Amino acid sequence: MKKSAFSALTRCSALALCVGLATPAFAQQEVIKIGLVSPNSGANARYGAFAQRGAELAAKEINDAGGIDGHSVEIIPADSVCTPVEGVSATQRLINQDEVDFIIGDICSSVTLAMQPLVEDAGIVLLNAASSNPEITYKAGVGGYKYSFRNYPTDEVRAASIVEYAADKGLKKLAVLSVDSDYGRGAIQFTKKYTGAAGVELVSEDYYKEGEVDYRAVLTTIRKSGADAILMYGLADTTPIIARQMIETGLAGKLPLIGNGEFSAAATIQAAPKAMNGAIEAAAWLPAYESEGSTAFVASYEAAYDGEEPNNHAYGHWETVHMLAQAIDEADSTDADAVVAALEGISFESPMGAITFDDHHQAIRPLLMLEIVDGEPVVTGSVAGEVDYAN
Amino acid sequence: MEFLIEQILNGISTGSVYAIVAVGMTMIFGVLRAINFAHGEYYMLGTFGGWYAISALGVPYPVAIVIGVAVTAAIAFVIGRLVMERMIGAAPEASVVATLGVSLVLQNSVILAFGGSYKFFSEGYIEPVFFGDIGIAQQRLLIIGLCILVFAGLEWMVSHTRIGKAMRAVSQNTEACAVVGIDVRTVVIATFVLGTSLAAFSGILTAPVNVSVYGSMGEIITFKTLPIIVMGGLGNVRGTFIAAMILGIAESFVAGQFGLQYRDSVGFVTLILMLLWRPHGLFSSHARF
Repeated sequence: MKKSAFSALTRCSALALCVGLATPAFAQQEVIKIGLVSPNSGANARYGAFAQRGAELAAKEINDAGGIDGHSVEIIPADSVCTPVEGVSATQRLINQDEVDFIIGDICSSVTLAMQPLVEDAGIVLLNAASSNPEITYKAGVGGYKYSFRNYPTDEVRAASIVEYAADKGLKKLAVLSVDSDYGRGAIQFTKKYTGAAGVELVSEDYYKEGEVDYRAVLTTIRKSGADAILMYGLADTTPIIARQMIETGLAGKLPLIGNGEFSAAATIQAAPKAMNGAIEAAAWLPAYESEGSTAFVASYEAAYDGEEPNNHAYGHWETVHMLAQAIDEADSTDADAVVAALEGISFESPMGAITFDDHHQAIRPLLMLEIVDGEPVVTGSVAGEVDYAN
Repeated sequence: MEFLIEQILNGISTGSVYAIVAVGMTMIFGVLRAINFAHGEYYMLGTFGGWYAISALGVPYPVAIVIGVAVTAAIAFVIGRLVMERMIGAAPEASVVATLGVSLVLQNSVILAFGGSYKFFSEGYIEPVFFGDIGIAQQRLLIIGLCILVFAGLEWMVSHTRIGKAMRAVSQNTEACAVVGIDVRTVVIATFVLGTSLAAFSGILTAPVNVSVYGSMGEIITFKTLPIIVMGGLGNVRGTFIAAMILGIAESFVAGQFGLQYRDSVGFVTLILMLLWRPHGLFSSHARF
């Protein structure tokens, strides 16, 4: 007991010494630790697994290529269970016990919103790769939180482009069926900002709890509401259930699903092809996206993980680790302020084109519009994702 | 009115699923005087067996039902010999600990083998049948039909076959059975395998409409089954059927009128009320089988 306390003390002082001597330049051969907060248990564990695999793959690629200026990268995962309480304690563990240099996370918007003040106080850079609630970057950069960045499209851009796309297709009456979370409710809240101008009307609003399995009552009500389409900002695991129950309630093939919820995943389409055909989704990325870097990523991901098809969170976290590595390299330091400056000025060549950050630390990156046609996702366009903070 | 009929139909189909699971649990209680806390896990095993048969072997759905039930029966036989057999005449707390242990082992073995993520069951007959404006999936009609067949079969078995009569005898008096030469162990194992196979059968039947398949899916089934077998009178087959229908329809109404989030509370409220006022169930506890 005494001994371990003593060794902890020496380690702490040695570290303090290192930090004192090393900032802002690199310490000798120090490993760069990147904490990864994501849900690894609970209903959203699937997302966390994808995020972790994507990030690990990127770290491996960076290390195989000689690291960042000779420093290898290590990913330290922490489980958020997709709840703010668990996410906050996971983040605290990463900061206080694992003493990570940077944090990537979370996938769930509610968790990311809770993490932001924490990393701000600790002075650690948080680079989000998957949360879409607009508030996250409304409150970052010139909006307040200096150390928070987001490399993912926001629901505001998504909501606006989906509403516009639906209106173009003549889908004017939408029935909302979204998940009851900051993501699901946030997306609808921002949808309402754009419905008036597009001449689109929301005829009903329903929110479901995570883990719900029976949607027939609400789908029956939607069938009788005269809606043209179902507007859904949902979770990937519930999309197949809703789609199959749409067949049961006689909605399949009549009302398309529009919004976001991994409509394009092969397993989802296979579970209910009749309901998924015609579905319209705005997605950050999808495996079918054709560009040299993107196809190469899919190939190396599938080679690394027994042929598993990556989803957009695997891609997002892979890309974000590479982006962070470039920022550290350009800053030539792991010092938070230096990396913040590097990220603010970065122009990162991603497989989807160059990515930069606006003054709210929100990535300016494209959003893909896709439609499910004969059981296959088809990219029908892409929208430049710039947020107008003024209105 | 249509809404009401649709709710009742939905309730009956849910009740049928519960009934098939619960009747197995109540029969096992009859011969062993033990609550099988791992019962939902056999429901999960059956579903996984069917899912695996479809996704890995590519067999059609009806064949997957047979495979799922057969695999579960085989696993149940092994667990019956290793664990359940020892519960004959054992203290009640022994069976609680043993079956909870089995539940943890089965759940985590499946997660270890297939991973913790959700799988999707994409087979079955989910096209709707419309009666006027009331729609119901073919699969749900199938579940109701098969439930009636299962109960008719069980009634016939316990009244006309040797093993069925032996099951009734063991549930009434284990010692007297041993005296007259009924092999109690065989009867217990047979009941256990039959009861768990029914849970597996119910699991595969429900999979097409519940869609997601995952390791811990059995937990909620165990907890739904408890109030049903208590309401039905522990060990009472007909009582279980009626109790399952009551719970299914009540849940359907609550989901439709008050919202989905209150549905699962129906079972627990029922359990508390039953334990307060009629701990022997709605029907006499003496009318076993």
